[in-house]
Amino acid sequence: MSAESEKKEIVTTEIIKMENINKGYRLGEEMVPVLRDVCFSVEKGEFVAILGPSGSGKTTLMNIIGCMDVADSGSYFLNGEAIHEMPQDRLNEIRNREIGFIFQNYQLIPTYNILQNIIMPLVVRGMTSREAEEICMPFIELLGISHRLNHKPNELSGGQKQRVSIARALAGQPAILLADEPTGALDSSSGKDVLNLFEKINAMGNTIVMITHDLNVAQRAKRIVHMIDGRLSSG
Amino acid sequence: MRLTEILKLVRLNLSQNKSKVILTSTGILVGAATIMLVIAIGTGGKEEVAEQFQNLNAGAIDISYEYEGNSGFGGGMSGGGMPGGGGGMPSGGAAPSMPSGGGMPSMPSGGAMPSMPSGDFGGFGGFPGMDGFGQQNTEQIILSTDETGALEEGVEGLSAVTISYTSRADAQGGELEEAQSYTVAGVKENYAKISNLTMEIGEFFTEENDEYKERTCVLGYDVAQEMFGSALAAYDESVYIDNRPYVVNGVLSQMGTVASGISPDEAIFIPYETGIKYITGKDVSPTITLVAEKVDEVESVMEQAKDVLAQLWPNAVFTMSDAGSKMEAASASNETLTLLLAAMAIIVFIVGGIGIMNVLFVSVRERTNEIGILKAIGCSKKDILLEFLMEAACISFIGSVLGVLLALGITPVIEQLSVRVELSVWGGVLSLLFGSLTGTIFGFYPAWKASRLIPVEALNQE
Repeated sequence: MSAESEKKEIVTTEIIKMENINKGYRLGEEMVPVLRDVCFSVEKGEFVAILGPSGSGKTTLMNIIGCMDVADSGSYFLNGEAIHEMPQDRLNEIRNREIGFIFQNYQLIPTYNILQNIIMPLVVRGMTSREAEEICMPFIELLGISHRLNHKPNELSGGQKQRVSIARALAGQPAILLADEPTGALDSSSGKDVLNLFEKINAMGNTIVMITHDLNVAQRAKRIVHMIDGRLSSG
Repeated sequence: MRLTEILKLVRLNLSQNKSKVILTSTGILVGAATIMLVIAIGTGGKEEVAEQFQNLNAGAIDISYEYEGNSGFGGGMSGGGMPGGGGGMPSGGAAPSMPSGGGMPSMPSGGAMPSMPSGDFGGFGGFPGMDGFGQQNTEQIILSTDETGALEEGVEGLSAVTISYTSRADAQGGELEEAQSYTVAGVKENYAKISNLTMEIGEFFTEENDEYKERTCVLGYDVAQEMFGSALAAYDESVYIDNRPYVVNGVLSQMGTVASGISPDEAIFIPYETGIKYITGKDVSPTITLVAEKVDEVESVMEQAKDVLAQLWPNAVFTMSDAGSKMEAASASNETLTLLLAAMAIIVFIVGGIGIMNVLFVSVRERTNEIGILKAIGCSKKDILLEFLMEAACISFIGSVLGVLLALGITPVIEQLSVRVELSVWGGVLSLLFGSLTGTIFGFYPAWKASRLIPVEALNQE
């Protein structure tokens, strides 16, 4: 009983709670550690940046946070659910419900039009296109892309594509938005736009975890954690 | 994910790769067309066999005798071999050839015993080895109503016996400007019933017509058409056969092709005795047709008939054939052909299926990133498997539909090659089913591969 009440406490205060996460990759005979005893927590409504140079392990951490990869050891609670105990087959459900991905290179499906790309998380969840469209409309208007819905991704500029991918991330109303170098492929003015949007979305109550190597970008977040050689340090 | 939504995505993906879809489905197209035609040709063949035999009573047994003449080696041998015939048979005028018996290697003493009574000698004829030689049909036996009578009495389980022969004769009548050669069949009055012949107009002739050797005839449908233009016009007219007038007693309905015997559409039927008197003379080789009451008694009827004939003609061998085994043989060869074609269709399907598999593998590779995205946003393995599987199914279904259309298109061409093709709905349905199934089965492995992609790796692939 006490364990359960503890869990409930986690639900109410922390969206992400990671403890002693270890992850390594096999390189020939050797195990190369990538994440070492990472402890990381995110409160609901936070806007956190994970800052680190390339090769520091931040992408691996993002994959684990995003439930696309699993840690070798350690515990990970996402929105109250014990991800580390969950069978891998169920992770796709968690990704669908709890995480909105925003990728550096947008990762839009080229054959779908903008609307189809945006509604996909809800369609995957089991909604009809029509139901999903209704739910997505506010986000589409928020991001100012309603006039582009019938276009294909490659007809859009980088900034517009990133707006589409943000709309898609918001569509599923996930527990966290997980952004991997969201401005990495954008010119500086589009990048600023995206970051302004992040602030706006965060102000609406969404939790954002952003991974970047750019200090200027990271500084737009409310909190920065540094990742160096697979270890995390706040500062 | 809802099935309808997966289908939407499938449609989306296929509509953006039309040329690929068409090319991929070609294998299935050919396969489906093949299987459709296989079924059509198979059914056509079966129907053709059935039609050929429809006029043939399944219980019918034909008996005929082939006279091989008293010539050459065979004659010499049997001269020695059938002295028994010399004892009692009317054709036993073989006595002068007796010395040639000495030529038989197995009986060197034969030549040394010319004084032996032929009757005793005939005892040797009973040797099994001798029997073989004795089976040379050198006696000139003309089957006649004597034999039919004997068979009728001596064989149990018969429903009918008839005797018939065919000959060719010049006939003229109606609009024909000059006489043409026709098949003239001398038959008994019960022939029509036994052969399941039906009348277009008029009557078949009667026992009296036969008995009094009346010059009356029944025309085959095509003959009536040729001579008079129609069955109606031919009725009660006169036809000249060998310059003698015959009254047309009736015209047969169109019977189609038959497997064996007289082709009724192109024949002129006249009473048996009439034909012997006016056309053929005594020198005919008729066929006796026995009809067994029950089809499963055909064997026993044949055995009994053999015994009866053996009593009458101990040294002659009669050719017997029953409709049932002819039918079986014809069906069997048709089935072999169908099987062969079906095997071909299966090979085509396998080739087509491998084509689909290949293209889907390429497609999975091309769309790795898309699969990664779908997985990142939570698509399950099952959904991805389903999407790719349904793409395969759709491609092969499209191929199958085109295949069926192709089959419909080439059917007239095949019919030009005088192959009977019977298209059927179930043939079409079956080829659609087979085609779709093949593509889906072969599409399974690539689809399964796609569903197993690891999202992180799939996303990082550019």
